[in-house]
Amino acid sequence: MKILVTSKRVTDPDMKIKVKADGTGIVTDGMNYKVNPFDEIAIEEALRIKEKGGGAEVVVVGIGGKDAALEIRSGLAMGADRGIHVLCEQAVDSSVVAQILAKVYETEKPDFVIMGKQAVDDDSNQAAQMLAGALGVPQACFASKVELAGDAKSARVTREVDGGLETIEVTFPAVLTADLRLNEPRYASLPGIMKAKKKKIDEIPVASLGVDTNPRVKFVKMTEPPTRKAGVKVADVPTLVQKLKEEAKVI
Amino acid sequence: MAAQSTFQVDKRDVSFVLYEFLKADAELKKLPPFSGMSKNDFDMVVNEAAKMAVNTVAPVNAVCDRSPVQFDKGKVTTPAELKAAYKAYCEGGWLGLTGPSDFGGQDLPGVIGLATHEFFMGACCAFTMYGGLTAAASRLVFHYGTGEMKKTYLEKMYSGQWQGTMCLTEAGAGSAVGDLKTTAKKSGDHYLISGQKIFISAGEHDMCENFVHLVLARIEGAPKGMKGVSLFLVPKYLVKGDGSVGAYNDVQCVGIEHKMGIKGSATCTLSFGEEGKCQGFLIGEEHRGIQYMFLMMNEARIGVGIQGTGIAAAAYLEALRYANERIQGTDIEQFKNVDAPRVPIAKHPDVRRMLWTQKAYVEGCRALLYQTALWADMAQFHPDEDERNKAMGMLELMTPICKAYCTDTGFKVTELAIQTFGGYGYCQEYPVEQYMRDIKIASIYEGTNGIQAMDLLGRKVSMKGGMYLMTFLNDLNIFCDQHAGHPVLGNFVKNLTETKDKLAGVTMHFGGLGMSGDQLYPIYHAAPYLAFFGDVVIGWLLLRMAVVAQEKLDRLCADNCCTDDDTKRKLCADNSEAKFYDGKVRAAKFFISQLMPRVLGYEQAMMSGDRSGLDVAP
Repeated sequence: MKILVTSKRVTDPDMKIKVKADGTGIVTDGMNYKVNPFDEIAIEEALRIKEKGGGAEVVVVGIGGKDAALEIRSGLAMGADRGIHVLCEQAVDSSVVAQILAKVYETEKPDFVIMGKQAVDDDSNQAAQMLAGALGVPQACFASKVELAGDAKSARVTREVDGGLETIEVTFPAVLTADLRLNEPRYASLPGIMKAKKKKIDEIPVASLGVDTNPRVKFVKMTEPPTRKAGVKVADVPTLVQKLKEEAKVI
Repeated sequence: MAAQSTFQVDKRDVSFVLYEFLKADAELKKLPPFSGMSKNDFDMVVNEAAKMAVNTVAPVNAVCDRSPVQFDKGKVTTPAELKAAYKAYCEGGWLGLTGPSDFGGQDLPGVIGLATHEFFMGACCAFTMYGGLTAAASRLVFHYGTGEMKKTYLEKMYSGQWQGTMCLTEAGAGSAVGDLKTTAKKSGDHYLISGQKIFISAGEHDMCENFVHLVLARIEGAPKGMKGVSLFLVPKYLVKGDGSVGAYNDVQCVGIEHKMGIKGSATCTLSFGEEGKCQGFLIGEEHRGIQYMFLMMNEARIGVGIQGTGIAAAAYLEALRYANERIQGTDIEQFKNVDAPRVPIAKHPDVRRMLWTQKAYVEGCRALLYQTALWADMAQFHPDEDERNKAMGMLELMTPICKAYCTDTGFKVTELAIQTFGGYGYCQEYPVEQYMRDIKIASIYEGTNGIQAMDLLGRKVSMKGGMYLMTFLNDLNIFCDQHAGHPVLGNFVKNLTETKDKLAGVTMHFGGLGMSGDQLYPIYHAAPYLAFFGDVVIGWLLLRMAVVAQEKLDRLCADNCCTDDDTKRKLCADNSEAKFYDGKVRAAKFFISQLMPRVLGYEQAMMSGDRSGLDVAP
């Protein structure tokens, strides 16, 4: 069995992000980067499936410039078997990501793909769905539980949907995405980190994949969210009720 | 799981010290065992250690303090949260970070190990001692044990299954370890050990399946004093031929101490051979035990230094955050205006002074410890003999300063952190009061800071005919000459030059007294002498870092078209990197102008010739 997982390099969500004055992006001086936390959950799930037996190979793929190799290496340190680094310096959108992953899928022919439901930097939540569409395979997104069938040819996936949980069955090959509650990812162990040094990462220039890398989404401008306006103090309860009725129109 | 803690690590400064200042990645590349490792590898290790320290280790710190280890009928029980965290730590392989890969270690450089240790020590000192003791004992076995010993014990130790300890102190032999009374009597292929050891950290607990005690004892008929002491490996349970744990070896824990701090660390009294059946196995040759211990001492003392700085750094970051959040009072200049807006206490000059004091000591000590650990790596592995010797000299000279200065100033930092918090700092609701209690022991054990001061003044300064001291002063002179005309830091460099000359003067004066037979007067001043020496070293390091930081700050200003003071100030407020570098420069200036002048008082005291406190005890 082979499982393909993703590891996207994202800005550290715990850091304060500042938008550049000219709105062309964010200030990256001193920025820390890490593996997209949802991808970490996906990697963990693949590793748990592997550890349950059946001798699965876990392949971690990342897209980006030279530095993106660090996040692939992090996946290897957690326990994935090898990496694929699609070298791509320019900015990509979800549809380009889906096309790139589709090409990788065609060469790797995994049993299934599992990736984070979205990346915490741009929060698009589209790449997996588009990938499933491009490949013409079933998708099971926002998984909070994944149970493989005995023959490992399908999975029963519990999905977090509006208003509750939905359980569906998908036959492989398929694309799954990990939601927050699927598992708690492990830390890389020290021996894991040292072993990851010796694991192979294949570098593939994006140009060699024959994918149209022009983004479909046009980046217009980035701005800080508007700061909240200060509240007003009211004299008494009747004024408050009146304001809620007439100005806020909530009662 | 214990509740989350507020513990933070300063990864930015750690990264600055390692790579921008020390260029550790390039330096380590020159050392054959580490030539295949890169900054990316080190980063990954340091980042994972930070994660583990923050998420797994730090939450047990308060638990250890409120539910200390318990003793009952020879057994020591640790809190469940500590056990769970220790298991995760051992399984993550952190115990064998710098250990040899042949026995389950990871062969990483000492300086990287030290960086991870800073995080773990800050997260929970009591916790980190268990693994630290095992790693130290393992190193001793690795260097001086027989092949058979290494095969039998090391892998189990580096995995954390077996606990290592150092058994030196006895009730009548602490600082004067040569007075110890524990005996060893030859009996076939082993010795029979008999005696009692006190203050044995991790001497007994419920997180491992066996103990490997390294015991100093005197073989029957051996000479008196240090030269008659031998080192023995004494397992609590003998090890069977297949490597499994066998029969009880007559080692029992008869009590634990109830301490001011590090209450999660089991400080045990161990009794060896009460039934006359305790087997010990000689490590190395007879009567050379102290020598073996001493060879491990540089590392152990730097290790205690990092306890000081790790805890101090944690306390400082707590104080810094609190001072920026806690609203109290108005801007001092508006104190008469009752409607003036209330401000965070970090706005108040007195609080700022306390915060900069903490920052300067923490960052100066961090640089000293990392630099010294890098020298230790170079002294061991550099292919060039001259480089090895020079690094060894600096290591020897700086070790007592690492131990004593970093723990003394670390204590001061925790005290200032409490002061920054005000009344809340004195309450257990916030973590800083525990930091102060936990850090105090670091100035006492592993050779009291008084012993360190005597080591510096009585041994290290005059070692190799004073060569190590001359090498250091020479490096300092080169730096001062090179940067005396620095546009921003020049005056501070001149200040350092003058202070260094005073240090040289005092050293010469003491040397002269020593030659004329007066040992007592210099030794009487050994502790302030070390503080003096330490201030010069820290001033030098802070300024060296400031030179690097100023260059980077200038570049950032140029990149962002900031040419006047206003735009520069705005950049430092908006851009975290500019703020960081500006902070490095300010810390150096603050230290040189506000903290280092205390040495003038020391100089005056040392040169006074007054012996009123020396001749008799009060």
